Amino acid sequence: MSRNGYHKLRKYILLSMILAPAIIYVLALGIGYFYFAESLRNSTLETMKRLVKDHRQSIESFLDERRGDLSFMMDVYTFEDLKNPAQLQKALKQLQRKSGAFVDLGVFDNTGVHAGYQGPYDLTGRNYKDESWFKEVMEKGVYVSDVFRGFRNVPHFVIAIVNRTGAKSWIIRSTIDSQMFNSLVEHVSIGKTGEAYILNSRGVLQTRSRAGGDRIELSVEAAEPAFYHEGIRIFEQTGANDALYLTATTWLNERSWMLVVRQEKTDAFQALNSATIIIAVITAIGILIIILASVILSAGIVRRMEQMDLEKEKLRFQLIRASGLAELGELATGFAHEINNPLQIIKNEKSLIEMNLKEQQDAGLTEKNRTMEEVTDSLNQINLQVERCAKITQAILKFGRASNFESTNINLVEFISQITSMVEKRAGVHGISFIQELPEGLKPIVGDPAQLQQVFLNLINNAVDAVIEKHGASGGSIKLSVSQDDTGKTSVLIWDNGVGISQENLGKLFTPFFTTKPVGKGTGLGLAVCYGIVNKMGGTMDVTSTSAAGTTFTVNFPLTVG
Amino acid sequence: MDQIKVLLVDDEERFLKTTAKLLQKKGFAVQTAGNGLEALDILKQESIHVTLLDVKMPIMDGLETLKIAKQRHPLVEMIMLTGHATVEAAMDGLKSGAFDYIMKPADIDELVLKIKDAHAKHLLQTQKRNELEKAKRD
Repeated sequence: MSRNGYHKLRKYILLSMILAPAIIYVLALGIGYFYFAESLRNSTLETMKRLVKDHRQSIESFLDERRGDLSFMMDVYTFEDLKNPAQLQKALKQLQRKSGAFVDLGVFDNTGVHAGYQGPYDLTGRNYKDESWFKEVMEKGVYVSDVFRGFRNVPHFVIAIVNRTGAKSWIIRSTIDSQMFNSLVEHVSIGKTGEAYILNSRGVLQTRSRAGGDRIELSVEAAEPAFYHEGIRIFEQTGANDALYLTATTWLNERSWMLVVRQEKTDAFQALNSATIIIAVITAIGILIIILASVILSAGIVRRMEQMDLEKEKLRFQLIRASGLAELGELATGFAHEINNPLQIIKNEKSLIEMNLKEQQDAGLTEKNRTMEEVTDSLNQINLQVERCAKITQAILKFGRASNFESTNINLVEFISQITSMVEKRAGVHGISFIQELPEGLKPIVGDPAQLQQVFLNLINNAVDAVIEKHGASGGSIKLSVSQDDTGKTSVLIWDNGVGISQENLGKLFTPFFTTKPVGKGTGLGLAVCYGIVNKMGGTMDVTSTSAAGTTFTVNFPLTVG
Repeated sequence: MDQIKVLLVDDEERFLKTTAKLLQKKGFAVQTAGNGLEALDILKQESIHVTLLDVKMPIMDGLETLKIAKQRHPLVEMIMLTGHATVEAAMDGLKSGAFDYIMKPADIDELVLKIKDAHAKHLLQTQKRNELEKAKRD
């Protein structure tokens, strides 16, 4: 694959590796977050509702209790009783013991005449029959006023109750200190920005609000009248400070006061907001990790693919070469075989010429002169060259034959001993000392004995030739050693202290037809054939040499069988 | 000793011609055949001691010719001439009754030696057979 191809592939793999997990990751987180947020939001709203409900409950309880206190007074004391200032004072003290919120106590008859008063204000003697509060209390039996700026400019509100048990109705009225009431209302624990306050139906603050301080002002938020609604309403509202508030409202006090509980939205949903940020960060980190991992992995994958492709190419090339060699082998065999026939004829013809020449000479018809000598010489040359051709064809035939392979177990020690005995005589003649290192207990190797014999003979003969070339008649030595390691790899070493091989020749050593021998002495196919044979057996051949010092051939065989 | 009678079998005509001449000069009586069928014919008609047989021939393969000839004329010694001697081909030949085989290209002197050896065997075998027949008759 071209550079560009790998680049594209890498991009493609990278993209898929990033997109697939990233999409799933984001989807999973998104869905999880969505449900989580929903649930959190719901629970926050529910909490607020509950809070509002409880708060309303406690506020209404307070009012009920105060009403109850006043009622009780009316049961205990009669109108006549309370017209007496001393009694009224006693009653007020009793009330105040019940709750410090009672500021004063006033008594009225059913015509609106102020019959008695105990308290800090100066109020006796007036007639209230036209006052709206009086009308309302006579009508409804109970009256609770809105908050007003009362005694000492402190917020107050009033509760009045009618007693209709006697012949004539009478009314008591008490002022309730707003401050206590305020604390009750305000104490709502709901976050940092939470607050609660009460508005009347005209939208006027009855208690303090954080934005409004403790002055009674028309609350900016509720400039419009507040409308009655059932139950608890929760909605969002922008406050004076431009912050968004989560607001809950509910009506109490028999629908004349509205309780507002609110909290800045960010405050209310703080848990959700922090969770959102955390999840966002996790998502970002996760995606970053996915991208990083993908980049590294995809690079690794593509690199591996490149490697594999390269190896495949190498293998393919080797295969082509091998098959090419095989074909060559077959081609060569046919060729060599065909050549042998004409060679035979040339040989015969040359013999015939020789014979005829001899006859001529014996019969005295030809002189033994220079020309005749040249003719004889030429005839000898023809023989030599024919032999040379014959050797080449023989070698080629052996080369081609290497494809027929036998596989048997070969006991190396025996095998090599046999071979060396074949060569010993020739070696001995030239004074070459033979050293053999053949250890015991070698596992056999698998191969074709005939072809392997060819290999070793070739190598040993080469060693002998190299030694003779350098040392002549004495001083040469050849060493043959076999070793086997734990994995079963067997190595055969053939070392000689002969003439050595030059650096440039080392490279060409196993090339077919390469030879350093003089013309006619070697065909140069020997080592190429040996290499092929060893290769077929799954082994390798190596050579190291120092020019003029010596050569070592190493033949390695792979893991053996048995 | 009688002149040694040789039959040359090869599909190369020139080889037959020259080799025959050479052998004749060496004192052999030579017949030639261009293929297996011809060879078998000659063996039937003439008295041959030794046959030089090329392995690769058209019409009838050398090995086949060898087998048939050995069947019909067991006393004739057959020498295989081969361009490439694989161990298997040699074994086949020897198993089928060939005396020996020679690889091409061969020296004329080499051929002569082999023919003489074959002839010696032929004489021995013929002698044995004669003795056997004589024993039967008696």
